[in-house]
Amino acid sequence: MIRLDSVTKIYKGGTVAARGVSLNIRRGEFVFLVGPSGSGKSTLVRLLLRQEKVTRGTIWVAGKDITRLPGWKVPFLRRSMGTVFQDFKLLSTKTVTENVAFALEVIGRPRSVIRSQVDQVLELVGLEDLGGRYPDQLSGGEQQRVSIARAFVNRPLILLADEPTGNLDPATSVGIMRILDRINRSGTTVVMATHDHAIVNAMRRRVVAIDKGEVVRDERVGGFEEAQEPETAAPPPPGAPGLPLPPDTDGYGLGQAELLE
Amino acid sequence: MGRLIFLVGESLTNLRRNALVATGAILAVFISLTLAFGALVVNELLRLNTIGWQQGTHIIAFLKDPDQGGLDSGGQLAYRDEVAGWDEVSAVHYVDKAGAYEEFKEIFASRPELIEVTDPLKLPASIRIELQTIDLYRDVQFRLSANPVVWEVRSFGEQIDQLSTISRVLNVLGWGLALVLGISAIILISNTISLAIYARRNEVSVMKLVGASNWFIRVPFLLEGLIEGVVGASLAVLTVWVASRNLHSLGDTIQLITLSIPGRFFLRWGVVLVLFGATVGVAGSLLGLSRHLREVDS
Repeated sequence: MIRLDSVTKIYKGGTVAARGVSLNIRRGEFVFLVGPSGSGKSTLVRLLLRQEKVTRGTIWVAGKDITRLPGWKVPFLRRSMGTVFQDFKLLSTKTVTENVAFALEVIGRPRSVIRSQVDQVLELVGLEDLGGRYPDQLSGGEQQRVSIARAFVNRPLILLADEPTGNLDPATSVGIMRILDRINRSGTTVVMATHDHAIVNAMRRRVVAIDKGEVVRDERVGGFEEAQEPETAAPPPPGAPGLPLPPDTDGYGLGQAELLE
Repeated sequence: MGRLIFLVGESLTNLRRNALVATGAILAVFISLTLAFGALVVNELLRLNTIGWQQGTHIIAFLKDPDQGGLDSGGQLAYRDEVAGWDEVSAVHYVDKAGAYEEFKEIFASRPELIEVTDPLKLPASIRIELQTIDLYRDVQFRLSANPVVWEVRSFGEQIDQLSTISRVLNVLGWGLALVLGISAIILISNTISLAIYARRNEVSVMKLVGASNWFIRVPFLLEGLIEGVVGASLAVLTVWVASRNLHSLGDTIQLITLSIPGRFFLRWGVVLVLFGATVGVAGSLLGLSRHLREVDS
């Protein structure tokens, strides 16, 4: 689904944000990009969205080389991706329903389709009763749910999440991860940049650790920190339930039952 | 249809949010096009007022009597025929002494004491000359003056020249001001669009994220500039039209000149000006978009 071949990104001024990154993400995978602040996680997300251009290397998304994609085709690439950010990026002048519908309006979906898809996705994120509220009338967790609903309303192949729990308390983060997991189990590839130890450790999914723009670890089933003995187990196939988790190992009380339905 | 409604709605939202700046841009278009259109109307008025002269008698040559070294009536008629044969001349009309006296009485009908003391024999015969084009009046005037049988030559060319000069000056001034103000209107509209983009940077950023095409993002801003240009231009056309109507009613009291502009002139130039306003608006929008839209990214 996503392949990065020796991707290097050097910003003006010489800052190296990605250095020869090679990565292969299969359809339906859930991948955590972990690393300290400034390690280059967000740059990778921006490169995947073509908000930045690579300095060297190639990025393939759904079989297309997006580094050679002409500018006018970039919007079509982005329609195949949903994006969730730490700061939600909601429009304060629009209601929950309007925020979610906006993603479909701007790509020209018919009104009838918009109505039905928005209702469905609001139900998925548990906000079916809050459609008429404005973002400032919602909690942080609810705002992030709206953001996820907007990202997923177009049924994208890939969902990119850049620190989606960064502004949320641990309990709320669980709810967000639960939704992302549910989306992943519907077959959507999820790539999530985070430095939330608890979430990564609890989910036990593929972990790609980045430091100073380089991939320093890629574990099929990993935790935030490097394991003493590398994991060799295969990742869960799309649609499969989550892997068993040791109960309450992270201090947040995130057990499998809570995290996954 | 749904997309169109959405785009128009977005444009109106832009205008509402930047009402003050948008008003400034509309006023700039309005003032510049009012000046330009005003210059056009004045020019048209001058043309209409001089057209009567241009199509009528251009030169009058008063002829000497035989006792002053001039020709007798037969000779005067022969001279008329000679002048009628000149290339520059379109038509010649001979007025003898009796005809001149009749004309005199007609002109001074309100002053009988003047008519009473005027000797009909003192009024000279004349030939009235209509030229092919008024520009040729100097040559013909010179040739007539050189003939000793001609007593005096009078031409309306000088007056027409003066009016043409005034018309030219007004045109240059009007269009010059319109050009300067038109450029400032483009800059103002460009700034309005920049502000609109800045005010809506979050929306633009979200639109880009969810895959809105570049043109879909641009269209509301282009529409905003278009609306500003068209509204400004329409106000200019309306203002000049209303002013012209008032001038027309004033013209009823001034018998000598025409202050009435035909409706088709307003229709033709009104459409041209509104299209020009629309172009100015779109040009301003494109300038603003090229300067600022690239900077707005998530």
